[in-house]
Amino acid sequence: MAAGGTGGNSGKTYSFKVVLLGEGCVGKTSLVLRYCENKFNDKHITTLQASFLTKKLNITGKRVNLAIWDTAGQERFHALGPIYYRDSNGAILVYDVTDEDSFQKVKNWVKELRKMLGNEICLCIVGNKIDLDKDRHVSVEEAESYAESVGAKHYHTSAKLNKGIEELFLDLCKRMMEMAQAEERLKGNGASQSASSRRGVQIVDDEPQATPAGGCCSSG
Amino acid sequence: MMSQRRGIHLDQSELLCSKGCGFYGNTAWQGLCSKCWREENQREKQKQIQEDWALAERLQREEEEAYASRHQRAQSQPTITPFSKFEERKTKEKSSKVNTVTKFFTPSTKTPPKKDATNVEVQSSSSPSSSTSRHSSLDSDHATREFIDFLRPLKPGKEIFKQCRAFTEGMVYKRDMSADELSECVQDFYQNLSERLHSQFKGSTDHVESIMDEVEKYMMTHLYKEVFCPETTDDEKKDLTIQKRIRALHWVTIEMLCVPVDEEIPEVSDSVVKAITDVIEMDSKRVPKEKLACITRCSKHIFNAIKVSKKEAASADDFLPTLIYIVLKANPPRLQSNIQYITRFCNPSRLMTGEDGYYFTNLCCAVAFIEKLDGQSLNLSSEEFELYMSGQVSPQWPQATGAFSCSSSSTALSQVHKRLDLLTGLGERQERVMEKARKLESDLIDWTDEVEQKVQSVLESFPAENQSPTAGTASGTASAAASAIDSDNVENELLPPPLQPQVFAG
Ligand SMILES: Nc1nc2c(ncn2[C@@H]2O[C@H](COP(=O)(O)OP(=O)(O)O)[C@@H](O)[C@H]2O)c(=O)[nH]1
Ligand SMILES: [Mg+2]
Ligand SMILES: [Zn+2]
Repeated sequence: MAAGGTGGNSGKTYSFKVVLLGEGCVGKTSLVLRYCENKFNDKHITTLQASFLTKKLNITGKRVNLAIWDTAGQERFHALGPIYYRDSNGAILVYDVTDEDSFQKVKNWVKELRKMLGNEICLCIVGNKIDLDKDRHVSVEEAESYAESVGAKHYHTSAKLNKGIEELFLDLCKRMMEMAQAEERLKGNGASQSASSRRGVQIVDDEPQATPAGGCCSSG
Repeated sequence: MMSQRRGIHLDQSELLCSKGCGFYGNTAWQGLCSKCWREENQREKQKQIQEDWALAERLQREEEEAYASRHQRAQSQPTITPFSKFEERKTKEKSSKVNTVTKFFTPSTKTPPKKDATNVEVQSSSSPSSSTSRHSSLDSDHATREFIDFLRPLKPGKEIFKQCRAFTEGMVYKRDMSADELSECVQDFYQNLSERLHSQFKGSTDHVESIMDEVEKYMMTHLYKEVFCPETTDDEKKDLTIQKRIRALHWVTIEMLCVPVDEEIPEVSDSVVKAITDVIEMDSKRVPKEKLACITRCSKHIFNAIKVSKKEAASADDFLPTLIYIVLKANPPRLQSNIQYITRFCNPSRLMTGEDGYYFTNLCCAVAFIEKLDGQSLNLSSEEFELYMSGQVSPQWPQATGAFSCSSSSTALSQVHKRLDLLTGLGERQERVMEKARKLESDLIDWTDEVEQKVQSVLESFPAENQSPTAGTASGTASAAASAIDSDNVENELLPPPLQPQVFAG
């Protein structure tokens, strides 16, 4: 990283870790299965598991490897959060627009994440199940102004109708890239490399691979 | 042309091996017979292998010299270095009870290659290594050879090897450092090397990753003994604590954890047993990546169990409770030491974003959950929890099962079936334990033989000292004692003269 420094930005591969947080049943698993497999409530199972999924993207000529970590949402596992989100570049905090309580849970997560990780993590607050808008219990204005107040971005999605999901992940990736580049510039200016930064974002110089040797997509 | 001649008479000499050994030759083998062809072909390969061995042996020698010199500093009697080293190893292993047993469970400590076995016989008196260190040094040799083979076709291969070797050798002298400092050193080395591979040698990400995997394998095979559960940490204490804790939680059921697997399905219970086996096996691996692979295999078996039970792909909500259940059932040896070791010495990219890293993180979560777990986390009242923990009451026969919200129909019969399944699982595990105990026994016999042989050879090489009276008393016969009294030494001269019997007349 130090050697790569601020050199030409083409031909880099970014590796990002994103955690999914939120109460059970708000649609975390559905969102990620829709995004990576384009499936919803599909009993025809192709993947062995839906807890760790990856996606390769190409954003303005730069390659991004996205690893999406599902987390156990049951209340009794709440205390394990820090083990999951340690070293993550982004967090997607999901609530169900028909469930006021689930939005309250998101607020708790935000508080905890900001306390533990400061501003080193990109936060996305996601109101899911907008296809059930008639049963909405969390107002759009309230959610959006809350997100803004904590430096997070707000998105509306429906895993069922495949709405807003591509935008959510693409936008998150762009923000994580910006953050990584800012950190890179900092290092280029001779900032000392702490252990935490070493284990943080991974940016590596990369030659365009001549051989498109398979191994794309999810490794599950 | 040749094929058209089929059936036409050929001169006998054309068919024979061109080496003149008398066998028939074959055009596919350039006119040689299979035997001569193999010899010819193998000569090149053999040369290569021998060169590698020479290198590996030299490295080994260097390592042992370094080891011996460290001991000479500690022990003032260089003549008994082989034994003191031996002793030290033994006491070191005794001091960690868990260590001794599990060490022998390492499958790789079995069956050394023939080559080395004969070596040891021939020069048994000069070879200072104990049976354990011999095995582990064999592993190291093997790792060195594999590393060299892997690096050979690479342009910077030599350079990589030199750096890794120098670093690994240097680490041996840093054993007084704290575990965190050791980890920091290794992680810095990984990072610097991978950066250089990227920038100087222009490697692609995947290629650099694969090189770094081999680097980790080579280095950690050599460093394992020094840096796994080091004495400077309380890893071992934590191992014992979690082991006891898991044992105390033996009563926790699938229903309490809401584990979505149905062990009455044969394929599911089979996957459960395999998952348990895999997580136990983690302890037998030396390389962090290989330990991770055990966790990943364990996880895949869990996913299979969930998928077969639920008919849908497992989410984290399903996976974590099941993993907790598996860890409780398996009570994996040296669990905390293994987690610490992986955290400290694994390639960071693998832990951070990779799939292995995800499963490893879940294992860390499972352990944290088990450590903190209370009645609430099992849907039990704290009174119930205390009762079960104290062993006064067993939840096997639930009185009122209202608490088990996730249990489907936990009738007595299904409970009995579950017990039976568990028993078969336990039977299988016991069989494996017995198998390993037998291995341990044969290892121990080998070891005693070797010690005997060594004692014999030492006795033979120091005959003069053996004659000393104190050394000879082992037999403890009456004649030996008598001769000791009769022999003239200073002490005897200090004794008063023997009393003469006096005869009185009258
Ligand atoms: N109507 C509707 N239902 C959804 C949507 N996303 C998820 N669900 C349903 O919500 C339930 C919980 O979803 P799941 O992905 O398991 O939530 P998780 O527990 O947060 O992972 C399932 O029955 C889904 O079918 C959505 O966008 N619209
Ligand atoms: Mg889920
Ligand atoms: Zn021949």
